[in-house]
Parts: sequence; structure tokens; C-alpha cells
Amino acid sequence: MTIRHAIEQMQVPLLALVLLGACAAKLSRVLRARSVLVVLDATSLFPPRLRRPATMAVCFTELSLGAGILATSGRAWHGWAMGVRLGTALFFLIALCAMAELREFRPDLGCGCFGDLSGRPPGVRSVLRAGLLGAAALASTGGGELTLPPAGPAAALDLGILVAEFLLVAALSPEVGEMLARLGYAEPCELRAAPPHRALVALHRSRAWRRHGRLVSRDSPADMWRELCWWYLVYPGRDGGGECDIVFAVEVRPRRPAVRSAVLPRADQPPQEDLPQAGLEEDLPEDGTPGEGGFARPRTAAAEDVSPAF
Amino acid sequence: MQGRPAGPLCCGRCAGAQAAARVGRRQRFRAAVFAKPGGNLSVPHTTVGADRGAGGAAPFRTVTGTLLDISPHILVVATDAGERRLALTPRSTAWRGRPVAATELRPEEPVVIRLAPGRRDVADKIWASIGRVAGTISASDDSQLLVDEGTTRKRQAVVIAPAAANRLRVRFPQLEPGNLIDVIGLRRGAALEALIPATSQPAYLASRVTRGSTVARTAAGTFSGSATWHEPGEPGEEPRGAAYPAVDPAAGCAEAMLTVPCPAELPYLAVGSMLSVRNECTGTVQVLPVTGCGATARLFHDRCLTCGTSPRGRVADLTLLSFVELGGDPERACFNARVTVWP
Repeated sequence: MTIRHAIEQMQVPLLALVLLGACAAKLSRVLRARSVLVVLDATSLFPPRLRRPATMAVCFTELSLGAGILATSGRAWHGWAMGVRLGTALFFLIALCAMAELREFRPDLGCGCFGDLSGRPPGVRSVLRAGLLGAAALASTGGGELTLPPAGPAAALDLGILVAEFLLVAALSPEVGEMLARLGYAEPCELRAAPPHRALVALHRSRAWRRHGRLVSRDSPADMWRELCWWYLVYPGRDGGGECDIVFAVEVRPRRPAVRSAVLPRADQPPQEDLPQAGLEEDLPEDGTPGEGGFARPRTAAAEDVSPAF
Repeated sequence: MQGRPAGPLCCGRCAGAQAAARVGRRQRFRAAVFAKPGGNLSVPHTTVGADRGAGGAAPFRTVTGTLLDISPHILVVATDAGERRLALTPRSTAWRGRPVAATELRPEEPVVIRLAPGRRDVADKIWASIGRVAGTISASDDSQLLVDEGTTRKRQAVVIAPAAANRLRVRFPQLEPGNLIDVIGLRRGAALEALIPATSQPAYLASRVTRGSTVARTAAGTFSGSATWHEPGEPGEEPRGAAYPAVDPAAGCAEAMLTVPCPAELPYLAVGSMLSVRNECTGTVQVLPVTGCGATARLFHDRCLTCGTSPRGRVADLTLLSFVELGGDPERACFNARVTVWP
């Protein structure tokens, strides 16, 4: 077996995997949103009435070609192999043209080739990938029937070619970066939805509440809001010096959230420099960690020369 | 919600002195609770006027009001603080549905004027009667539309100008109820004469808006995206500020459409949070309060194409005045912005 023949043969699994993967990614997005409308990215180039059928046609074509390439790679339907592989080459040629059109006329849209992994507008890499896959489909026409190589150097050669080509396609695919980012992605606390009653429960169990709860003159907070990783709760109250506001900050964290507190005199606000001395308390988790909401704290260095527009 | 405070929830309706006081109060509370024992508070100064963010150019000065008189060299504007006379230079430009000579503007028109950098009495660019409507089409009849911009705003009447019909139809082919629209044009009383498409129509209906991609992430409270603008809804509404599309849903924001989820990749904030908004095209920076829920910004997952493609959709819906002060041209609909949660 020559290297050329090995290269021609290894295009078959590569093309099948890419086509079936693209179809599966689109279908999973449609199933999650329960609407075809979410995958109309590249087909937005069509008039509105044709977008839905065009999207379904693309999905169906990918599925048919991917399955067809696999089905005709063996002896059973090998007579159809040339037609399927030429059809695949034509499909990727059309994809190449569509990508160029999309960059020209709708540079704000992703191609949607691999569902929501392809949300970014296509770059040169995406165009090159379509060209490479088209060339791979053309190359596969000379590959003949796909056979398992004998164990030894021939198998290693096939495997090496396949891996190298996958790496090349991966290098040309912006989706790979997105996929890796998702695999290692943990939703940070500032993006995490959290019901506010959890903050109240955590507050009522905290040391800060036990310390300042006796000053509070009302059951419910007078003001409550969330910013980034912290809930803020303000209670009216009375201490020895008169009316005051008791402020609690509760971290957005499912377990053992940090709770901080401060007591501020209400009327006639004192100069700002005097405020922190007013009963500032911190109730960190027992493990002593400051909590993941650290960056929500004021950044003193940057604040010096800035005033808001109000 | 258990124990949730009653009272004004949101957003543009609570604007003006009340909103400003709440912003200041929340800033003070936040700073107090995070101050180091014995240290100074790091709360930013809340003085009116100078409002330059760190590491950027100062925002442009603006004048807004009603045009009283205009000549080739001088224009007179009635503002809330009295009459202002501004000089026009050969470099001064004007927009009234299209770029026009300043002398084509008409008295009694509402104008927004950006002053020349470093000059207090020289007009650089004038926008007359500019308006924008973005939202869900609730009724359509030939070339007239009714657009729903959110629960706290009146429905907006939009008339498609015959001269702009083809241009608008290319970008907004579906004008049936339920579809989304975002157009810029001339205010003619209560109606807007649509002239410019502000974006391309999303393929989805307003009732099928998804949360968007979760891939783009924030880094240390900083994120980039498209900054758009909106007209003040009511006369008393705060002229400067930003509607933010990811105000915490538990805040019960009256403007938010409950069926439309917050964008997945933006951090949760509150009305009164401060944002440092940087125009990536001009380098201008301004610190602005979050004054609303950005109900319409949640509907569009479009990218801004002004000086490059924005990495994500709408991250801030600025008031017209803030947009102009940051160096944006309203007729271009948006600019690429970098937003930092402040402080």
C-alpha cells in the first residue's frame, strides 16, 4: 500500500465523522430549543420563506452524505461510493462559497456549522476548513474500497495519517477552542442564578446576624439587591446612638457563604472617612477562605480619578 | 419572595432624583461593608460633571434642547438651563434623516449637539429629531407598525418612509406581529418615521428568544460587546445612564419581560450598579449608573459592526445623551464597547 493510497482511504472516516458531527450538533441545538429557528445562522442569506427548508435540507444532506460515505466504503454498496464522495466534494464547495458570502454580507453572524459552537462570525480558518474538506472528498474518490490494514507499519501509517488530518482540521476549526473552553468551564458566581431567599436563610444562620440582629427593627430588609457575587441587605435599626442602617453582604455561594456586615448611623451622614469604623464585621466561612466573590470588592486604586455621571 | 422589600422596583420610572439618591445610598452601603477596619472608604465621588473613567479619553460635551434659531454661523438652542448660543464652523455637520447642511434644520426641532473637543460653544455635530424604536411588532398595517418596547413604555407607532421602504425590507423582511424590529429615523410627533435599519432582523420570533451562547465569558468584571442607545421614555427620565440586560431577575424589575431570559454570559447586577463604559472606536470612557433592565437589549443577539465585529451582543443600552457623549453616532446604531463593573 502506498502512502498516497493510505491518504486517499483515510479521508473516508474523516469526512463521515465531520458530517455526522455537524448534523448531530445542529440537531442537539434544535432539540434543546425545540425550534428550528435557532439554527438559521448561515441560511439567513436566503429569503425568509426559504430559511427553514434550507436549514432542514442542510441537516438532511449532512446526515445522508455522512451515512452514505460509511455505507459505501465497504463492499456492499461500493458502486455508489464515487457518487457519494463527489456529492460530498460538491457540498463542501458550496459551503466554501456560503462562508465567503456570509463574511461579505452578514459579518455579524456565525456559520452555525457545528450548532452553537459556531456562534462566532467565520474567519479565514473556517473558509480554509471548508476548502480542505472539499479537497479531502475529492481525494477520497481514488481511495476505492476501505479495508482494514494488516497489523504493523501499515496500520501505524493509516493511524498516523488519520490523526494528522484530524489535527489539521482541528487547527482550522474555531469550534475546538470553544469546546475545550466549555469542558473546563465552571460557571462563576457572578453568572450564577440564585434565589434571594437563600441569602436570607444564610444570613439568619450567620454569626453576623446573631451579633447585629438585636439592632434590627424590622423583619424584612428595607433594600435588597444583588451585584456580581454578593447579595446586599439593608435593615433599619436602632443602636445606642440613635437610628442606624445595618448592612449585610451575603456571598452567592451554595454552601457556607461568607457574610459581612456594617452598622451605619442613619441621619446626617458623617464624612466618608469615618464610616468604616461604624461596627464593621466580617463572617467568613469556617474554612477561612475569603470566598469566590472577591473581585466584587471596591478597587481603591482605580477609583481615585473617577466620578460617575450622576 | 419571602421577606422581600416592597416599594419601587424599577427602573426608568424611578429615575431622576429618587434614582440618583438610591444609587448613592447603595454605593455608600456597599463601600461600608467592604471597607477594611480602620481604613478609608473607597467609594467613588458622586459629584455631577466630570466623569472620566480611568485610562481613557474624556467624554464629549453635549447640549440638548429645542432649536430656536439657526444661521450659517450660529445656532440658538433652548435648554433646561436657558438659551445656549453655539458657533458653527465649516467642519460642523448635521443629521436630519441624512447628512444635511446645518441651515436645513428647522426651528422648534429637538436637537442633540456634540460640542467640539475642548470647546464649550462650538457645535461639532447636530442630530435633529432623531429617534429609535426597538422591540416586538404588535400590530402592522401596510407601512405602519405598532411596536412594543417593554412593559413600562408606551407602544411606539412607526411609519416606514416610502423612500426607505426597500432598504428596510431587505434587513427586516418580516413585519408581521411577533417579529422583532429595530429602526432609526425622524421623530414626527408621537410616531417615528423609520429611515435606517439599526440591525438585521433576527431569525427567531420575540416569543422564542433563547438565552444565547454561554461560551463568551467575563474576565474580572470586564466584558466587551455592542453598546446601543435608546430614547428617554418619559420627560423625567434620567438623561444619562445605561439599561443593562442582565439585571438580576429576582429584583422584580418592572421593565423586564419575564419570558425573555437574561443573556447567559453577563454578570448579574442591580439598578444602581456603576459601569465604566469605554467606546473602543474613540477610546472615550464614562462611568454610568445602571438605570434600567435593558428589556429590548435582551431580545437581540446581534453583533455590532462599527469598527470591527463585537465579540458578543448587546451589553449596554445607553441613553441617547450618554451614547453621544461617548463619541457614538446615533445613526450608526451602536459601537463596540468594553464595560467594567465599577468599582
